[in-house]
Amino acid sequence: MILDSFKLDGKVVVITGGGRGLGRAMAVRFANCGADIVAAARTVAQLDETAALVRNIGRKCLTVPTDVGKSDQCNAMVAAAIKEFGRIDVMVNNAGIGEDSFGKPIEQITDEEWHRGIDVNLSSQFYCARAVIPHMVAAKRGKIINVASGYGLRGGKHNYMYACSKGAVLQLTRSLALTYADHHIQTNCIVPGIFPHNEAMMKFFKGGKFIPIGRPGQDEDVGPLAIFLASDASNHVNGEMIIIDGGGLAGGVVPTGVAPGNPA
Amino acid sequence: MADTKTLPEGLKDFALNGKAALVIGAENPLGRVAAITLAEAGARVLIASQDAGTEVALKEVAKTLEAIGSKALIQVQRAALRADLSATVDLAVTKLGGLDILVTALDEPLYGPAETADDSAYDRVFENNFKTAWMAFQEAGRVMLQRGGGVIVNINSVLAERGVPNATLYCAAKGAVRNLVRALALEWARRGIRLNLLECGWTAEEGSIALEPGDFSDKLIKYLPYRRLLKPEEIAGALLYLVSPAAGFVTGESIAVDGGLLCRV
Repeated sequence: MILDSFKLDGKVVVITGGGRGLGRAMAVRFANCGADIVAAARTVAQLDETAALVRNIGRKCLTVPTDVGKSDQCNAMVAAAIKEFGRIDVMVNNAGIGEDSFGKPIEQITDEEWHRGIDVNLSSQFYCARAVIPHMVAAKRGKIINVASGYGLRGGKHNYMYACSKGAVLQLTRSLALTYADHHIQTNCIVPGIFPHNEAMMKFFKGGKFIPIGRPGQDEDVGPLAIFLASDASNHVNGEMIIIDGGGLAGGVVPTGVAPGNPA
Repeated sequence: MADTKTLPEGLKDFALNGKAALVIGAENPLGRVAAITLAEAGARVLIASQDAGTEVALKEVAKTLEAIGSKALIQVQRAALRADLSATVDLAVTKLGGLDILVTALDEPLYGPAETADDSAYDRVFENNFKTAWMAFQEAGRVMLQRGGGVIVNINSVLAERGVPNATLYCAAKGAVRNLVRALALEWARRGIRLNLLECGWTAEEGSIALEPGDFSDKLIKYLPYRRLLKPEEIAGALLYLVSPAAGFVTGESIAVDGGLLCRV
């Protein structure tokens, strides 16, 4: 039965940025499919809220306060997950910053801001992949899911660190995918479009009116895609970037809402 | 019917209970898998052919569907014929009570030097790979727009994304469908219809050039990230994701089911 291949009963899923937003929505969805969760993020209070939601579903949740921009903390987080559960089936590299902070002219961006962004958005994914790969190689299976962004494929005005780090995530995905194909480890990338996480973002993106489908993404939209990529249903999908953006990247050559011969 | 009582909460929006689905090209190996997948997930399915003279093949697929508890309807039709496609869509609406899902699994490969391909080769490749998809989207779209929405998935090939020598018309036709899906997805984005594609890697299916012993298949297999061809049934998960309500924010996009081949090129 095809639906059985999506089940995640007893799988151990590690999610960075698991304290809020997409990470929390994915954690809840994974738990609802039978998985146990390791949630990593900096803010303990937010991790505790995610853990309560997961446990309420009847699954286990280990919370590991982690600054994913630091490799030693990523290593310690993965070690804690292994110690608790004995294995990691799925690594979701979701942590990210700066989705709402671009807009500053280039000459005002400090070295520190640039490096911090690259560390959290890109290096964290490398650190966590590096830490889980030996366990997955030993298990002869595994799934790595990297979260990028539509800005990894398009430029944006005053958008440097975010666009660069997310674009690099696509390349990290491809090289991991090819390298570990022989080990039955699939690495794929979720490419979300506009998912406003606060009022200011909702205002910046004008409520999503420029998104072809007519609404912005909601965190819950990403859960099912993560389930697909974490499950056996996607075993022949590897190195792929799956765009979930309400049609944004299908177009872009004319403004949304207008069409030749049909001035909207 | 998918038993939603035993289904984990997190998988409920992957089920297709109550949906009416049409698969065109169900005699093809990937179309057959699509029909089985939709039926297993709970949809009522009308299976229609790409080519005439395929009744026996369709009946075999119907038997498989019946074995999993799905009442199967079959319709032999010819590709790229407006009247046939229109009648097939009407039949789906009449017999299934609507049309929520269309899957097109069309394939007409052609390999050989470009300078020797004649005009009939062009017609054949474009009619079967592209024109049929275009007409099927139009005919199904007409019904879906009227009924307030639907989902369309075209089963395509990695050749839609890259060039292959000696496969010029085939690549062009596959690429044309890729971009048709982008444009039509935008046109219908606010009218409730989502369109997406699967891009399959080299597949172990009857008649495939990748199965013919020789230099090409020897070297190809070694080059594939998984060092083996795609088995048709391995597209089932990606197909179900795209046709189900779980992918409600995905349109105009593709999922490659290729083991990572497109990252290499």
